[in-house]
Amino acid sequence: MGGVYLESRLEFLRQNQNPDGGWGYFPGKQSWFEPTAYAMLALHGAPDSVQPLDRAWALLGSWQCSDGSFRPSGHVAGGTWVTAHAVNLACVRGVYDGNVHRAVNWMLSVVGAEHGLVMRAAAYFHLLETKLDVSHEGWPWRDGNASWIEPTVHALVALKKVAAHYPSAELTARVREGEALVWSRRCADGGWNCGNPNVFDLDLPSYPETTGLALVGLQGWPGEPLAGPLEVARRFRAETKGSLAKAWLAIALRCYGRSVDAPAETPRASNDILLAALEALAHPDGNHRFFQTPGGLA
Amino acid sequence: MNRRKFIGLGGAAVAGTYIGMKLQKPPKVSDGPRGQSPVAILRARSYSDDLVSRMLEGIRECGLEVRGKRVLLKPNLVEFDPHTVINTDATVIAAAVETFHQLGASQVLIGEGPGHRRDTMDMADDAKYRVTIPKFESIFTDLNRDDVSPVHGFAGEPEFYFANTVLAADLIVSLAKMKTHHWAGATLSMKNLFGLVPGSVYGWPKNKLHYIGISESIVALNRTFRNTFAIVDGIVGMEGNGPIQGTPKPVGVLVMGRDLVAVDATCCRIMGIDPEKVPYMRMAADLGHVHPARIDQRGETLASVRNNFELMPQYRQLRLA
Repeated sequence: MGGVYLESRLEFLRQNQNPDGGWGYFPGKQSWFEPTAYAMLALHGAPDSVQPLDRAWALLGSWQCSDGSFRPSGHVAGGTWVTAHAVNLACVRGVYDGNVHRAVNWMLSVVGAEHGLVMRAAAYFHLLETKLDVSHEGWPWRDGNASWIEPTVHALVALKKVAAHYPSAELTARVREGEALVWSRRCADGGWNCGNPNVFDLDLPSYPETTGLALVGLQGWPGEPLAGPLEVARRFRAETKGSLAKAWLAIALRCYGRSVDAPAETPRASNDILLAALEALAHPDGNHRFFQTPGGLA
Repeated sequence: MNRRKFIGLGGAAVAGTYIGMKLQKPPKVSDGPRGQSPVAILRARSYSDDLVSRMLEGIRECGLEVRGKRVLLKPNLVEFDPHTVINTDATVIAAAVETFHQLGASQVLIGEGPGHRRDTMDMADDAKYRVTIPKFESIFTDLNRDDVSPVHGFAGEPEFYFANTVLAADLIVSLAKMKTHHWAGATLSMKNLFGLVPGSVYGWPKNKLHYIGISESIVALNRTFRNTFAIVDGIVGMEGNGPIQGTPKPVGVLVMGRDLVAVDATCCRIMGIDPEKVPYMRMAADLGHVHPARIDQRGETLASVRNNFELMPQYRQLRLA
């Protein structure tokens, strides 16, 4: 299963786990939450992975703040968007304890700052020199900042997966709001960039990787049909040379049950740990299902 | 501006920019550090010119001491579009690597943390950095994903994080691109320091800087990092809807200096922009020289290289008389 492509990436991850149990963005570097989370997802279920992943989970648990959020690394104070990764990992590991509940509650308490009263009032009085719809509640990279596509998508994945264990009207409403925000940030060319489709009435272009991410977040979206964006993602997948973009687009398309060509059986070409993990996850035999959310299969 | 406008994401920052333009007085000759700042304007009509010789000449004119220093070159790598010129050209970076080695630097590294796109190495490929710059992969650090350490007091924040590669450098060389900018008016060597801020902590984009204020953040970065030198790639700049969707503007110059405020003021004048109307330059008047009487222009004269850049309607009031 997997061949050289998948196995070389998983082996690279195994070889580069830090002594503290985490992974850095690059070998030998400080452990960070994000590459650790993706490495854990990629290695989940792989042979001899139980103890290494238990050590990683213990490290990440030590980074939880008193407010329930998670720090992006042991060297950085304050919780950020990686809290969504913690909740997703908890779902994968079948952990639904009080710490996870606190993380969920923190996520529900955080709203992009552009949704604040001043901005909404400005929109109401047509003082905004932008087409941006500030009526929706998304998630920022850091509390106190505006909503962007990637942190909103990770929050959506986490909340949709955890919803059955901590059901609430608030959670359901935030999911629908987050999906609406993602949809409202779609670029004129049909895809998504990091979350700002327009400046001074001029359209900005979409990016392939954020288009893939947006589709991951929109699984189960009851609004407009997603055939158009999925076609954009398929076209991006065929055209882009970017490795990160290819991985996210493959994950997205697989989440929707779309066929994606298997990558050539090439060994890993870079020392980028996050990329290796995402490429492993995106492989036909990889754990891309961990980004699948209820209602995601079209 | 006949009414206060908001821009949405980063809107508070932009609104603040406009307000700042109205309330702040232009810098006076007496503002800023004592003495004059040398700024060198060197002709380089194309990227196939002998850029190393130009850089050596410019650095000599500006009196920069390099020997024994750990040098970090900070190019402007933002996005890639084959139809325009968003990024510092690869040949300029390659020439800078060679120049600083020739001048006796103990180490020459390249670091960048792009603000929007996460796949830095793929962008570097598209921008031909890997094929043009010798041993690129071994000397390049993605500042978005480097190890980090806190700095205290940045822009009033109790702790603000920067890449360790940045903090370890003895000299940071801002290898900027001469471009207009749809939020800041112009992006040059000072604004280029945005790429020192790690996305792993602040996201893509580094939205925290927008909330601090774009102009305020530019000034804070330049206040924090004083061990700097600027080389602005104005061989082909970008006009109109910069910094990403503008159009190429051949100017045929490299602009260099130790005083980044003076370098950017000079670039603005070359672009036909009045630097005294650019908010972040006025706010940085205590860090360097904006006033032409305090800039010791070397190499080409301003008049001989002035080449007005097209400005977006929102910025036409910045036009230099």
